[in-house]
Amino acid sequence: MNAIAAEANIRTPTGRDGLSLVKVERTTLGVSSTVWMVKAPIHAMLVSFPVVCFIGALVTDLTYWSSAEIMWADFSIWLITAGLVFSGFATLVSLIRFVGDRTFRTRTAVWLHLSGDLLVFVLSLWNAFVHSRDAWTSVVPTGLALSAMVAVIALCTGWLGLALIYLQSAGVSER
Amino acid sequence: MTPVRHRSMRYSTLLLLLSLACAFGGCSDNAADPSTQIGANPRLPELQQYLLPPIHVAPVVGWKETETPTVPAGLRVQAMATGLEHPRSLYVLPNGDILVVESKSPGTEPVRRPKQIIMHWVESFATGGSSNRPTNRITLLRDADGDGVPEVRSVFLDNLNSPFGVALVGNDLYVAHTDAIVRYPYTAGVTKIAAPGTILTPLPGGPINHHWTKSLVASRDGSLLYVGVGSNSNITENGMSAEKDRAAIWEVERSTGRSRIFASGLRNPNGLSWEPQTSALWTVVNERDEIGPDLVPDYLTSVKDGGFYGWPYSYYGPHLDPRVQPQRPDLVAKALVPDYSLSSHVAPLGLVFSAGSSLPEAYRAGAFVGEHGSWNRKELNGYKVVFIPFAEGRPSGDAQDVVTGFLNANSKARGRPVGLALDKTGALLVADDVGNTIWRVTSASR
Repeated sequence: MNAIAAEANIRTPTGRDGLSLVKVERTTLGVSSTVWMVKAPIHAMLVSFPVVCFIGALVTDLTYWSSAEIMWADFSIWLITAGLVFSGFATLVSLIRFVGDRTFRTRTAVWLHLSGDLLVFVLSLWNAFVHSRDAWTSVVPTGLALSAMVAVIALCTGWLGLALIYLQSAGVSER
Repeated sequence: MTPVRHRSMRYSTLLLLLSLACAFGGCSDNAADPSTQIGANPRLPELQQYLLPPIHVAPVVGWKETETPTVPAGLRVQAMATGLEHPRSLYVLPNGDILVVESKSPGTEPVRRPKQIIMHWVESFATGGSSNRPTNRITLLRDADGDGVPEVRSVFLDNLNSPFGVALVGNDLYVAHTDAIVRYPYTAGVTKIAAPGTILTPLPGGPINHHWTKSLVASRDGSLLYVGVGSNSNITENGMSAEKDRAAIWEVERSTGRSRIFASGLRNPNGLSWEPQTSALWTVVNERDEIGPDLVPDYLTSVKDGGFYGWPYSYYGPHLDPRVQPQRPDLVAKALVPDYSLSSHVAPLGLVFSAGSSLPEAYRAGAFVGEHGSWNRKELNGYKVVFIPFAEGRPSGDAQDVVTGFLNANSKARGRPVGLALDKTGALLVADDVGNTIWRVTSASR
């Protein structure tokens, strides 16, 4: 118990650092924390992919809008597809953490973050179908609008996710 | 967050998911009866754009030993040749020998979008999957006594590149490969040509080659060839530059190979034929997909020199397609309205005028059209051969079913009709590329 208490003392100041967060969790917490201990870095790694893909899709959509050069619309649908795959994994990891960790669930920011992730996923799935139409109307206007919405929401939830770890030490506090 | 807020969020999520499921699955089709779209003035509904377009291809079951297509009273149908490999078009030589063009898609279209991976998978149902048996060749059938049972069957020309159209002028046999018109030396009565061909003119081919069947017909005096070159996309989704010289009928000078665009804006023209009374060029055209179960009707039309028929910018004259950008109002303004709608998504690929037919009197003046069948609407359409009566060189009545039963009672495909021809006895021949059979339709009284 002494060892755990000592670890807990260390954890509070260094818990703001994502890397030590992982280390502490492994040595101190029980079953549920073990789950998210493993997931947390995976999520942190995964979550940057969809943000980059979805912002990229907005850029290629805008380029198609201004050029009508179909290559850019093709880039968009591949970026959206890749973003969907990664955001699917990231959302799944978030959900596992959400279900497995009660303290995590109590935070409004966590709710916001998870709803944002889900919204990004659903809107992007919709967007992928729109982008699978042929030629101009695969992008203009619905696809472009969806890409813009997704890019903004993905940026916000991405920021929120990182803020949860770095500023609020989500999952670091003792239950 | 309060429980109330949780619940309202959950409800709104559920609503969103439900509405998405509805939009993806298409809660209703609302397709019209195809008969409302037969003839000169088809009803054209508002176009709609889908998240998931309706996809329904009849799964292939093939023909059982005793099964044949169905024909109306007064006609008889029998298999003339079976065990072919994807027979797509037919040509009858002056001595009565029948050339069966067995052909398959070049399959060189690169995957540009995730959608194509799904579409290829769906298409594999339509063709019954790919077999490794030899195709891309022409098989000769000789039925000298005209009883519908060929005495001779031989591989006439082999190692072709997705061939489709054939035309004989004198001793020059022209085969429209998917990427070139090639000339072969022909002598009456031969059952095989071993000589290598000579390219008369290259045609737009791969790598995309979305519509790859090149239909071919020679002018009456033999000096010119007309070749159908289909578009390289559904509706320009492969880019405008991929459509150069496509969606058009080319006129090729036989002596030099020099070519010009005879008519354009024809998305996928096939079955080029001369109307016997007016000597005008006619074709059947596959129109665009994915804007509704009743859009855009495929059609049969005469082809005017220099005529523009709308694709991709518009359909049936001034009806704009919003998927095409930049638009060309100058071209739309002169877009011709096709002569005769066959209704939507029937996929006409074969056309033959019935003059010279030995079928009953009711079928003597008009055109037979082979409808390969739909994939882009829930209620299947096409999958049959129809007859359109003509008078004064123009369609003069409703299309009548002539050869049906390609679908069984469970809407599974026993076969699918493609190319048509009249043999030397005046019987109607139908190439069935899924049933791998040539069907021969004769008068029942003969």
